[in-house]
Amino acid sequence: MTGFALARRTAARYKTRTTLAVAGVAIIAALNFDMLLLSRGLLISFADMIDSAGFDVRVTGSTGLPALRIPVAGAARLADDIRRLPEVDDVAIVRFEPALLRAADGRERQISLVGTSGGSTRGGWTLLRGRDIDSRDSRDSSNSIDSNESADSPPAVITRRLAADFGLEPGSVLRVRAGVPGERSVLPFLSYRVIGVANFSFEAAGEYTVATTLEGSRALGEGNPGDEADVVLVASKPEAGSDAAVAAIARLRPDLHVYSNQEVVEQFNRNGFAYFRQISLVLSTTTAVFTVLLVATLLTVSVNQRLGEIAALRAIGISRRHVAGMLLWESALLVGLGGAIALPLGGALAIGLDHILRRMPGLPEQLHFFVFEPRAVVLHAALLAATGVVAALYPVRIAVTLPIAATMRRELGS
Amino acid sequence: MGRRLLLALLLLLTAAPLASAPPAETEAPSVLISRQLLRDAHLAVGDIVLLSADRAGSHGGRFRIAGVYEPTPDPMKYNVERLEARLHLPDLIRLTANPADPQSAESVSVVNVRLADPADADRFATDVARRSVGLVARPTARGADGDLFTVLERFHVAIAAVTMVGSTAFLLALMVIRAEERRDMVGMLRLIGVSRRSIVVEILIEGVLVALAGAIFGVLLAAAAQYGINRFFQARYDTTLVFVRVTGSIVVRCLVIALPVGVVTGAAAAWTLLRRAPASLIRR
Repeated sequence: MTGFALARRTAARYKTRTTLAVAGVAIIAALNFDMLLLSRGLLISFADMIDSAGFDVRVTGSTGLPALRIPVAGAARLADDIRRLPEVDDVAIVRFEPALLRAADGRERQISLVGTSGGSTRGGWTLLRGRDIDSRDSRDSSNSIDSNESADSPPAVITRRLAADFGLEPGSVLRVRAGVPGERSVLPFLSYRVIGVANFSFEAAGEYTVATTLEGSRALGEGNPGDEADVVLVASKPEAGSDAAVAAIARLRPDLHVYSNQEVVEQFNRNGFAYFRQISLVLSTTTAVFTVLLVATLLTVSVNQRLGEIAALRAIGISRRHVAGMLLWESALLVGLGGAIALPLGGALAIGLDHILRRMPGLPEQLHFFVFEPRAVVLHAALLAATGVVAALYPVRIAVTLPIAATMRRELGS
Repeated sequence: MGRRLLLALLLLLTAAPLASAPPAETEAPSVLISRQLLRDAHLAVGDIVLLSADRAGSHGGRFRIAGVYEPTPDPMKYNVERLEARLHLPDLIRLTANPADPQSAESVSVVNVRLADPADADRFATDVARRSVGLVARPTARGADGDLFTVLERFHVAIAAVTMVGSTAFLLALMVIRAEERRDMVGMLRLIGVSRRSIVVEILIEGVLVALAGAIFGVLLAAAAQYGINRFFQARYDTTLVFVRVTGSIVVRCLVIALPVGVVTGAAAAWTLLRRAPASLIRR
């Protein structure tokens, strides 16, 4: 009889304890699997999110948090200069403004107004209904703002949540003014034509985003300087690559800060992501040690309970190798079954934990902390295999070194 | 120092020994330097430094290092190098004001206010917004919901809950094995007239004791580990921030949770023994 067959019979004989041990391993291994997903999840999600905008190079006026950055002056001319570089395929100027929307009930709600240069086929959003902002919308409409309800009002692509909460559809009119809640302002509300409804990649939970043309953003008036950008987005030509585009732009304007998406992700990995990388490392190590200790304890108690039985097996000629194999298989069955159950269980748990963490203020809705990747499953399997072997070491030592005659006399005789 | 303001970005810093400085520089305005900046720039208390708001060092000013300070630990900045200096507000304004803009000499970034009654924070914020266009007052107290640290606390509580469920399953398995070990003995006790109740109570007490002992061991392990974890991360990030703290409330919570876990596992173990007839327990 093989070690596996002996282990299977032992598991079948002690169903309750096997089931409980497998359940325990499954729960702890699920947590361990989740920590592996967390170890790179935010990074993968962040990289996907910034890549989804379709631009692979960013030009800013300074480093630091977006809210504290120095704007890029002379953005229109800069965009033209960058567009002429042979490494560059497309350029978009982006300006972010806090603004207030007047709802039908008269109350004011804060929105994030994103002004972007027209003509670009890319953006940080996916259109759901209506049409996107294009070169037709880029003409200077600021002169016609006074005629609030006219067709010359700046176009706006609004987030799906805003459309749902305020009953807006393409063709509706938005009333917007510059400012933040709590501020007194004498600025008038301006009208924007809703031309489309979209999902915005960078939108935080509870935030309302409205995209318009640069002219539409400038039209808000006070505090909106004419030719400044918060960021200039650049798409490199595929044959040139982002590194070549970064180098070319840096040569063109050494006073600005130019980053490829990979560099942005690397910065994020060093700074913003450090906490979650460390907590995942600490918790995955803790859970692995916890699993080893508990499986080793269960196997040791189980072996101590079966000393007479093991001595009898040895006495009838079953070799030490077979007995060791049986205990290794027992450990492998507990850890293997628990580990297999841990995958779907961990997936479900990850959804719950992700839901908790995504309630952080200001976090883009499309950012996730737990992201599945095959590498995590391979690591999970390797960790569990190591756990199974290490947990079996001490019980195996007890079983293979026990004195057969003395043990049988003590255990079976009593 | 009375009114001080944090100089967020120190762009230029040069040092000269006090002994070699001209006499006029001994009257240079004083500045406090963060411990990290003092160490990285190889400075010492009494040194004269040149501070400027631009890389070229134009419009800079000479300051004498009056002391060194430890920056207030800030969880939001734990992985940021705290290269900071604290100046008297008039000195900072002189250093950073734009000569072409007279208003810049009258501007500050933030005014910290301590209210007589903290409960008035919202009313005060409304008053400020009503009286001054463009001025926003925000309370520094943590918000009840959606706050970063509230979210992280919930995340840790969720992980602790999952760990507890896993531990309960393991303890249950252990108690069942222990019950199986004592099957013969319990069978004999039942046959000589010891009541079910007495046996259940004994197993329940054992479950509670095992759970409590585990919780106490866990608390002691955490208390010992917190020193190592804090020292490691404080050295890693060069901060005095406390990363792990085993508080009285955490200890109480651990012990209170261990109690029902012990009762449940003990009850389950007792049930596996006492559902059988006494004779079957001694294999008759």
